[in-house]
Amino acid sequence: MISSFLADPTFLEDMVRILFVFVLITAALILSTRNIASLLTVYAVQSLLLVLIASSLYFIEGNRTLLAIAALTLVSKVLLIPIFINIIGEKIKISRDLKFNYLEPTPSLLVSMGLILLAYVFLSGFFNEFILSKLFFMGAVIGLSLTLMGMLVIFSRRKVITKVIGYLTMENGVLLFGIFVADLPFIIEILIVIDLMILVLLTTILAIGLDSTSEEYHQRLQTLKIWSGGEEQ
Amino acid sequence: MNASFLLFALLNTGFIMLISPFFMSLIKKVKAYTQGRKGPSLLQSYFDLRKLMQKEVVYSPNSSGIMRITPYLNLGVLLVATLFVPVVFIPDTPAGIGNIIVFLYLLAIERFFTALCGLDAGSTFGGMGSSRLMSLSAVVEPTMVISFAALAYVLRTVNFHEMFAVTAGSTIPESPTLTLISISLFIIIIVETGRIPVDNPATHLELTMINEAMILEQSGKNLALIELAHAIKQTILMAVLINVLAPWGLATELTFASFMIACLFFLVKASMLAGLIGLFESSIAKMRLFRLPGFYMMAFFFSALTILMEVFA
Repeated sequence: MISSFLADPTFLEDMVRILFVFVLITAALILSTRNIASLLTVYAVQSLLLVLIASSLYFIEGNRTLLAIAALTLVSKVLLIPIFINIIGEKIKISRDLKFNYLEPTPSLLVSMGLILLAYVFLSGFFNEFILSKLFFMGAVIGLSLTLMGMLVIFSRRKVITKVIGYLTMENGVLLFGIFVADLPFIIEILIVIDLMILVLLTTILAIGLDSTSEEYHQRLQTLKIWSGGEEQ
Repeated sequence: MNASFLLFALLNTGFIMLISPFFMSLIKKVKAYTQGRKGPSLLQSYFDLRKLMQKEVVYSPNSSGIMRITPYLNLGVLLVATLFVPVVFIPDTPAGIGNIIVFLYLLAIERFFTALCGLDAGSTFGGMGSSRLMSLSAVVEPTMVISFAALAYVLRTVNFHEMFAVTAGSTIPESPTLTLISISLFIIIIVETGRIPVDNPATHLELTMINEAMILEQSGKNLALIELAHAIKQTILMAVLINVLAPWGLATELTFASFMIACLFFLVKASMLAGLIGLFESSIAKMRLFRLPGFYMMAFFFSALTILMEVFA
């Protein structure tokens, strides 16, 4: 029964389309959720969706690399990174990121709608010569818009820990784009994941500032005379 | 007007009228369970309606004819709206019945008259409720229009009956984007029936009430009619969501067996949805009035996204 479904490419393509929709929903939630624990759960779910997309794509295409990418994502982004950030979150005792810079959630949802449109227009101009199937084109559009929405998160959130999640979302977008269009070599995927780990580690090392906004962090560094920010007296 | 449609009008409207109060009590029951209480009986809404029906109607001396006609008008409008949303079988439809735009206007008429009658008695609470309802409606109306527009765009028709004929034919959702629309429709159910996080139907607290404030001056038989109209509105909106996302069991031709199956299926699916609404209400806190547009924006975002994805992908 299940194997007959897995052998049917139209069914799988429909599944991938539904998963795309859920990826966009998680992106919208990451833009607007205030509670950090829920934010992490949403991120983990988003990564899990990518795992599912990559594995369904493996059944359509039969490319082994996709399966490896799925496994790597499952271990690193669904399990390790969220658990790790959760531990940090408990240590620094902040549970919510209430304030937003420049854009409140409502306008940022509007802006992200514009970003999706922009991604579509840009990519349709770009891929004119290539003949991509509709599904793959849509994957590329959603990957690019996920990257842009991650950027929007970094831009509009104030706490460092939420900015990190924005960065991780951006990386998810790149991964999605890579799966559907660029066919990145597997070694680069591994390097990116290692980069992510180091990023999260670095943020912990900088834990002195994790419970604050970037501006306060800057001030603290100045008080501690660790870094004067080029404003030497 | 043909015989099949007449039969449809009787069966569909009768069925919706009969089961609507049940879902009101079911949601209350689910909420009570999550709070560790036993909750009212599942038939409590019917008992309440019967009790109210036997009571005398009291009008404020300041009130005008609006107060007197609103309960009948609201119920009438919503009974017409039930013709638009088939829950038991899909009939041969005369022109105009089932049109989305007419459906939206029917809901708007109901909202308009509820707000007017809130103002009519001249009490401060009623006026406050009406003013809140109208300012929120100004935000939620574009969202509703765009959600139903997305639905019409995906299913390529503006007629509910034709839409459901399309969805009833397939076992999985016709298009993946219908999942997105369902989220918008769910938010619309919550908003239109005045549930948490928008309004709290269980309290008469000045700070939170919107819907309750407007019907505060109603009494006796009129209150019963308004409560019934409210329950019917909830069932219709739930039926739209159910027929879009999980249309199994909806009959396209009428036989006795298919009618019974459709009724049973609808009852089961709608009970599940009512349970879901109850759980949703229990798991979330009432939002501040000024954060509500953000909540509607979610529905707007998903509907607009649907149109984007359908047009371009």
